[in-house]
Amino acid sequence: MGILIAKGSTVLVQGITGKEGQKAAAAMCAYGTNVIGGVRPGKGGEAVEGKPVFNSVREAVERCGAIDVSAIYVPPFAAKEAILEAIDNNIPQISVIVERMPIRDVAYCLAAAQEKNIRIIGPSSLGYISPGVGRVGVVGGPKELADEIFTPGGVGIISRSGGMTNELSWQVRRAGLGQSTAVHIGGDLLVGTSYADLLRLFEHDAQTKGVIIFGEHGGSYEFAIVDLIKNGEYTKPLAIYIGGKFASALPEGVTIGHAGAIVERGRGAAEKESALAGVGVMIADRYEVLADLIKPHILLRL
Amino acid sequence: MNLYEFEGKNIFSQYGITIPKGSVIRRGDDSGAVYRALATEKVVMKAQVLSGKRGKNNGIRFCDSVQEVRAAADALFHTTIGGQYVIAIRIEECLPIAEEHYLSITYDTGTKQPVLLYSVHGGIDIEEMPAHALRRYPLDVRKGKEALKDISDIPFARELWKCFLDEDARLVEINPLVKTVQGTWVAVDAKIALDDDAFFRHESWKDFAPRTMLGRPPTEREIAVQEIDKGEEYYRGTAGKYMEMDGDIAMLFSGGGASIANMDALIGVGLRPANYTEYSGNPPREKVHKLAAIVLSKPNLRGLWIVGGVANFTDVEATLQGIVDALDEVKPRYPIVVRRAGPHEKEGMEAMRACAERNNLQMKLFGKEIPMSATAKVLAEMVH
Repeated sequence: MGILIAKGSTVLVQGITGKEGQKAAAAMCAYGTNVIGGVRPGKGGEAVEGKPVFNSVREAVERCGAIDVSAIYVPPFAAKEAILEAIDNNIPQISVIVERMPIRDVAYCLAAAQEKNIRIIGPSSLGYISPGVGRVGVVGGPKELADEIFTPGGVGIISRSGGMTNELSWQVRRAGLGQSTAVHIGGDLLVGTSYADLLRLFEHDAQTKGVIIFGEHGGSYEFAIVDLIKNGEYTKPLAIYIGGKFASALPEGVTIGHAGAIVERGRGAAEKESALAGVGVMIADRYEVLADLIKPHILLRL
Repeated sequence: MNLYEFEGKNIFSQYGITIPKGSVIRRGDDSGAVYRALATEKVVMKAQVLSGKRGKNNGIRFCDSVQEVRAAADALFHTTIGGQYVIAIRIEECLPIAEEHYLSITYDTGTKQPVLLYSVHGGIDIEEMPAHALRRYPLDVRKGKEALKDISDIPFARELWKCFLDEDARLVEINPLVKTVQGTWVAVDAKIALDDDAFFRHESWKDFAPRTMLGRPPTEREIAVQEIDKGEEYYRGTAGKYMEMDGDIAMLFSGGGASIANMDALIGVGLRPANYTEYSGNPPREKVHKLAAIVLSKPNLRGLWIVGGVANFTDVEATLQGIVDALDEVKPRYPIVVRRAGPHEKEGMEAMRACAERNNLQMKLFGKEIPMSATAKVLAEMVH
């Protein structure tokens, strides 16, 4: 069982008839995720990947019963409405794949979700994968490539970048280890689920023996890890790589890489590293070193 | 997108926030004539830059004659302010100041909601403000006026909150917010950062001139690249990011995270980037072709690094094909290193190999057997 998905968890795809939604539905089914159907207003009654399409989330809930996760695959201008529809129907976890969503809409949805204790992952998140259990979104890519990279194991992975989620997972596999859950939290300024939120879940997950993180300059989510560790809420081994050291030479306010990776004095890669090193987090100078840093700790705890 | 002060003030005044009487002077304008038309003796001349501490960097001049105004305009147009290019000067009346306050609204990553910051000790940089002098009021983005019910006495709070929401801003700031000796409140400065992702509900944003925060006007290549992601299918992959830098190694990165890690790796092996460029989210071949053609058009390149992680779903064949299309046109003589893996990697690599062969390119190809950063070293060895 992964930290965010269990075997058999039911997944709905909002925007299933679109190109990306269709591709994601196929990728999830291929990996053994229990996709129970999709939503596209006006296309109720059709089928995608052999799964029923409903006109609304409400209709999907009425016909399928409880839904554990909704994955949002709609264009950015339709994202707020789609997410609010999932919230209105009390879907407990919403995975927002949509990129380039306006921040005002993101904040609106996050506030609405928090009121109902609903977890949002993303926006701009490719999703997550728990090897051998299932995946939401397309992390890992086509099944045969995903199987080259992912195998059940003790390393938890969190990344601001979708590509790096896969790349780090591959470095873990190359080091002879496997992954518990690999999560792409998204690179926006506001994210529904942050590093600290996931570290709390990894702390209580017996399969996870240690965690590696790909972080970036800009924003403050890395600093929240410091408090988490100080408060004893996360006690397992942790290694982190923070990209964007070059960015400290750029003028303040420049955004590079992701929307959240803003050049800000005092929040650069170096400041984050030193704050984290101060509470015992292992720091990698190159991303591929993360797997080497965590490996002895994982082997020790097997 | 960050706005210049004069653009910010135009927007503020539409929301009922009082701004000083003034005008904008561009390069080549007759600054003396603008001064005379203002019909006020004491004026302040403010360099228009996207960020940077203007006060400390000598970007603000006080004048009270045509001669002084002309000299100040000339000086400001021949300097950069904190590394920022001066695009224009705002000339405005000098106000008799009784008090200087601070007011801003931005997004707080802690509450993941907007926060209003207010201080009665304005006029200095917010970083230098003692923590006790700054009052923080968390706001709920879902609420209009009632979000401010406890703080409706803060001058211009209502107007600024409406402006923040309606304009899809990421930051609105008035510093200083001035109370004149006559007792009126005036926004003496204006800082607005707009949320680029909300462009589809703001037709008028098209009219803002292209800009960069790199201390110079945007280059032709930077402006051309921005066009790639415009149009109806803007959200189908991103290939519109290009920042020109002063090195000589051209860069085609895939993925935002990989791109910043690889910039660090490239600089770490002693090479200097000619640009920062990144495409992601499975853009079609045509978009990548346009991007690659612009990246390769920069003169005096000494190397090209095409690098990305193990893609999840980006079609490696289609995206590398886009680059091949540009390489076929340019046929560079300098060394090229490729590192990429993911869906259709075999076909993508084969297309690259065939392109290298038919154009007789100096190219080395790598898959996921070695990490991205290690291929920076390979390129460094080929270049030297």
